[in-house]
Amino acid sequence: MAKNTVHPDQYLIEGLANNDSAIIRSIYKKFVPKVVSYIRNNSGDEDQAQDVVQEIMILLFNQAKAKQLQLTCPFDAYFFLLCKRKWLNELKKTSNKAVTISDDFTSTNEPTAEMVSQTEVFEEKQQLFDAMFQRLGEKCQEVLKWSFTLKSMEEVAEKLNVTYGYVRKKKSLCTGQLTQWIQEHSSFKSLKK
Amino acid sequence: MKEEKYILFDQYLQGELTDEARLDFEKKLSENHELASEFETFKEVQIQLETKFDFAADRDAFTANLKTISKEHFEPEKTKVISIKPWMYMIAASVVLLLGLFLFNPSKPGFEEYNQYENAYLTERGTVSENLKQAETAFNAKDYKAAIPFFETVLKENKSAEIQYFYGVSLLEDNQIQKAETVFNEIKSGNSIYKNKAIYALALAKLKQKDYQSCKEILLTIPSDYEHYDKVHELLDKLD
Repeated sequence: MAKNTVHPDQYLIEGLANNDSAIIRSIYKKFVPKVVSYIRNNSGDEDQAQDVVQEIMILLFNQAKAKQLQLTCPFDAYFFLLCKRKWLNELKKTSNKAVTISDDFTSTNEPTAEMVSQTEVFEEKQQLFDAMFQRLGEKCQEVLKWSFTLKSMEEVAEKLNVTYGYVRKKKSLCTGQLTQWIQEHSSFKSLKK
Repeated sequence: MKEEKYILFDQYLQGELTDEARLDFEKKLSENHELASEFETFKEVQIQLETKFDFAADRDAFTANLKTISKEHFEPEKTKVISIKPWMYMIAASVVLLLGLFLFNPSKPGFEEYNQYENAYLTERGTVSENLKQAETAFNAKDYKAAIPFFETVLKENKSAEIQYFYGVSLLEDNQIQKAETVFNEIKSGNSIYKNKAIYALALAKLKQKDYQSCKEILLTIPSDYEHYDKVHELLDKLD
């Protein structure tokens, strides 16, 4: 996490985390048109732009909720670059045309590039985590789900009709299993700085 | 031991360790780089789990709100009139034709689309029997044939609906369908949490024999509060 001073635009991030409709509307009004025109000028249409924007907004929501999003650059540049890179990645996936996204960062100032790469790392970790979670057995998934939904492990035990000792142990072991898989996963090593 | 390590991680994070144990753990962390890195990952996994589940309702609300606002924003520009050219009618007609063919010639669902089972975790509750461990390992490796004799030995001493269920699934997968049905029927007549799973497995046994009518009849007896009712619903839809 960057230790630089937080940018005044952080209120937009807080607004997203709080599901503040006025803030969300203002983001659409002020920052989305630029994204739309970029995507339309680069082999995309408005529907595709709408999807990209939504995906990025949900990503920012998740990152903000995980308390891992402290804006150190203007929102405008950060948001635009995220959407642009997401779109170029889409293009790369769906077409056989060679798309180069190599030198995006060179034209961008450093705090913005740093912020964008933090968010992209967050997204990759989240995707890896989701994939690993799906690999868990049903019981593990269930115990973890309730452990992180209900207030106390006593409630979890009651809900699943098993003993407190059992859910406690199971929760530790299932979290451990995820830990082990994620550690083993090679991409985690490259993501971890 | 791996298990003890993860239990210790969790106890430390929950603040359940004695002062002595806590200091000892912190000392180990500072000395052992590998342990420290694993502990970091463990903490990160916990954060991910919190993000995934704790905020699930918030995220749903956010997504719904976002979609509405997004629509408001994009809609006004979406009133362009598209002229339909003759070749478009041709395409539309062929799509309708294909759709018709598809609808009147529906394919029946296959057993293989539905035979995904949860893993068996049978050996974590205290006493561990070697046979049970072997059965569990073979089952989770989908080596059902190998699992069957182990289950049979275990069931002679220790009969529980859970073990019976996994035994039944192994039989079903090994094409010993009648035997499997006997096992599932026995669970069905009891009152364990495996009751509905057993009924679902009975339906799958029918599906495997392509007896769609019986499959459907059995599915209809599963109460809608069954934890995997979505699968039941999906299969019923496809059978219709």
